[in-house]
Amino acid sequence: MIRGTVVGQVWATRKARGLEGQTLLLVAACDAEGRATGRLVVASDTLDARAGDDVTVAFGSGARNVLGPGPNNRDLLCDAAIAAIVEGAG
Amino acid sequence: MILGRVIGQVWAARRDARLQRAKLLVVRPHAIYEPAFATRHLVATDDVDAGVGDDVIVCLGAPARASAGGNDMPVDAAVMGVVDRIDLSPDAMRAAGAGPGIKRALTLPPDAGTK
Repeated sequence: MIRGTVVGQVWATRKARGLEGQTLLLVAACDAEGRATGRLVVASDTLDARAGDDVTVAFGSGARNVLGPGPNNRDLLCDAAIAAIVEGAG
Repeated sequence: MILGRVIGQVWAARRDARLQRAKLLVVRPHAIYEPAFATRHLVATDDVDAGVGDDVIVCLGAPARASAGGNDMPVDAAVMGVVDRIDLSPDAMRAAGAGPGIKRALTLPPDAGTK
């Protein structure tokens, strides 16, 4: 997973069927100290994150497990998902 | 998923049998994208009939294969959506230390990256 900050939302009417119903947020990735790296990632959101929230983003099968648990979720169309909204970090 | 702009299309007569019907687009990722190989573009199959100049959402890895037809597909990137609108929060970008660079990357002209 990586840490990042939600900076916006992406809207798409024309999209693959498996992507329908997913909220897609634009996340600016941070390094370990919380500084922006300039990298952007589009992540599915199930936690109702808002612009400005610090979040962690899971990739790969970890992202699919956020949207639908279980080993048989390989057909979920998601490769990045917000796994947690960060309240503090030490 | 990553955000990028379609800058071209690839044609290939000789291709893997499972890719016979696939439309292959060349996508230039917005902002910084760091793949394992040194390039500034990627080739993705197209699920949504995107065209050159469109801003698109590209899915990488297993979901791209699932979307292309199954886990045995020789694919690792698929265009999954055509972007209508991006709401950027200036406050959040400032807080993230993202600066104006991201906004600049999102507003490049359609022919950017083709030269």
